[in-house]
Amino acid sequence: MSILEIKNIKANIGEKNILKGLNLSLEKGKVHAIMGPNGAGKSTLSKTIVGHYDVDVTGGDILLRGESILEMEPEERALEGIFLSFQHPVEIPGVSNAYFLRTAVNAKRVHEGKEELNAAEFLREMKKTAETLGMKPEMISRSLNEGFSGGEKKRNEILQMQMLHPDVILLDEIDSGLDIDALRAVSEGINAMKDGERTFLVITHYSRILDYIEPDYIHVLKDGQIVHTGGPELVAQLEEKGYESIGAAG
Amino acid sequence: MKLATLRDRTPELIAGEWGLHPDRIPALEAFCALPFPDKKSETYRYADTQEIFDTERTRIIPQQGEVAPDPRRVVIVDGVVVSAPDGVAIAFEETDAATKGHFDPLYSLSHALSAPTIVLHPTEVDTLEIQHRYTQPDALLAYRIRIETTANTSVQVYESFFDAQATGSVILYGIDVRVARDATLRWIKNQTLGSTHSRVFASHYADVGENGTLDLSTYDFGSGQGLATLEVVLDAHAISSLHHLVYATEQARRGTVSRVIHRGHHSHSDQVAKNILRHDARGIFDALIKVEHSAPKTIAHQNNQAVLLDEGAYMASKPQLEIYIDDLEASHGSTTGQLDPKALFYLRSRGIGEEEAKKMLILAFANTLIDRIEDKVLREWIHQSFEAVYYGQSHVACLETCHGCEENALGAFSVNS
Ligand SMILES: Nc1ncnc2c1ncn2[C@@H]1O[C@H](COP(=O)(O)OP(=O)(O)OP(=O)(O)O)[C@@H](O)[C@H]1O
Ligand SMILES: [Mg+2]
Repeated sequence: MSILEIKNIKANIGEKNILKGLNLSLEKGKVHAIMGPNGAGKSTLSKTIVGHYDVDVTGGDILLRGESILEMEPEERALEGIFLSFQHPVEIPGVSNAYFLRTAVNAKRVHEGKEELNAAEFLREMKKTAETLGMKPEMISRSLNEGFSGGEKKRNEILQMQMLHPDVILLDEIDSGLDIDALRAVSEGINAMKDGERTFLVITHYSRILDYIEPDYIHVLKDGQIVHTGGPELVAQLEEKGYESIGAAG
Repeated sequence: MKLATLRDRTPELIAGEWGLHPDRIPALEAFCALPFPDKKSETYRYADTQEIFDTERTRIIPQQGEVAPDPRRVVIVDGVVVSAPDGVAIAFEETDAATKGHFDPLYSLSHALSAPTIVLHPTEVDTLEIQHRYTQPDALLAYRIRIETTANTSVQVYESFFDAQATGSVILYGIDVRVARDATLRWIKNQTLGSTHSRVFASHYADVGENGTLDLSTYDFGSGQGLATLEVVLDAHAISSLHHLVYATEQARRGTVSRVIHRGHHSHSDQVAKNILRHDARGIFDALIKVEHSAPKTIAHQNNQAVLLDEGAYMASKPQLEIYIDDLEASHGSTTGQLDPKALFYLRSRGIGEEEAKKMLILAFANTLIDRIEDKVLREWIHQSFEAVYYGQSHVACLETCHGCEENALGAFSVNS
């Protein structure tokens, strides 16, 4: 069953057409990986799904559980269960990481008809989760991503993902700039979220992370379109022969 | 008395008409030598001075008397010191000690009009809390304070203001500070002014001795009118660190006009202003850093940021560097704009609604300046003042209802009894 259906989506950034009638169906509970050359439109695709203001959708549709989300505000899409781990998470000085995440978690809980967590309950949960990701305790009270190293920012994205319990998880180059320990911690964090219900879309350039989080499907994105879909065996082929080896759209 | 009557008069005439002691003539001379503080003047071009000068007001002349003991703060009601803690030496100085050459005409005028200068010397306390209270409506009040510090000591000054009853009054006050060599003065001003409150024009002068540090943080909130002018002179190896947070709403006119003068070598100044402006409010940041011939190896940095939340809001920003040597490190910058769209999107993408996300970013912008206060209690008070204005409560209502303000509120109102 498909949870997220991207149908013939066309999108511009500024005047430039980036997504050129892209089709992709994410199967519920599965791990999908997207690979593709620089500038192909991978980040644009993830931004289109979460409703980023940079992206101007000019055609097609995106359905979540069968309903179009194109008219939804970014916060509504998040509340409906979509989560994007950004390629470049922003730094927000003055907003403490804990305060930010508690606001987000409670917004989600209210949306789900649950009671809000109080500060103590929340902090306990956040500390526990941060610890499993190998994050220093001080990262909880520091300003959101401010002065975080590349790896710390990525761990912080995973922390948010774990606390927000999303259904559809988009990971845009979660592995870039990570050392081996961080890669393992982040991958384990992702694997811990796999439950056969949640769906993952992993955008990456490297096969290494795919050794940890075994994908069910590999999609190749070139020039604004998905040009090939295959199984995990495709990774080795891409590693060996490059994107050139993948034929034209089809 | 109308302040407008001071225009085009000689010092002697003013002294006669206002009944001032002849020893105030030098201050009046300084006042008359500068352009009259109106739209055409350098210092007051962004302030709304017309109504202030053309309205008839009752002049209050403070009469100093007995000073009662106070467990923690110096309380000054309408320019009269009514209570003070033990560890602060208080003197009243008849002779006027205005510093010649201050750029602000109202600095000289407040010196000319003020009764004895209140001299505060914290001898056995490391925090000097000054509470200014204004009780008279439609009044004109001028008073001056001088703060003395001792070499090698560190003192914190916290100024707060309570003026809800002083509707329509104009207050000219100011502090002259001498930061002794190797001494540190942390000075925090917390001032919320409503549109019906008094208009407060503060004019300060700080002289920072060798190796001394002046660390000033001003917090100007609300819909009222107030301007602070400040002249800082730095000796060798002296440091001045100035931080200004403005959150102004409605028709507010708030801000700072400053001149930081590097006189000694290896002196160091940094100045950061953050302005959040709503409705038709206007923020003012007009700041000059002057590096004199005598100040090689100076480091001077200045930055002003403004966030305009509504179409009618306006930031008057004029950072300036005046440099007479090239052996220095200096920078200045100014940005005015909306909230960072990237940051706003990030928060929204986590399920936080747009309005809530905006609020978080505004608080964040403000918090970077509030959180630099090391003293936990004072920091909390500033947070409360900010949030009281930000969430639309009146200051007094906050004092009465907010549990966290209890201690503050008791102190604020005890002088009435
Ligand atoms: N804000 C923007 N303004 C202008 N052009 C943009 C903007 N964002 C993306 N682009 C352009 O859109 C195209 C696709 O970019 P996108 O970031 O989606 O690529 P990508 O596949 O994620 O690449 P990478 O592997 O390098 O991350 C590129 O040509 C890029 O220059
Ligand atoms: Mg990308």
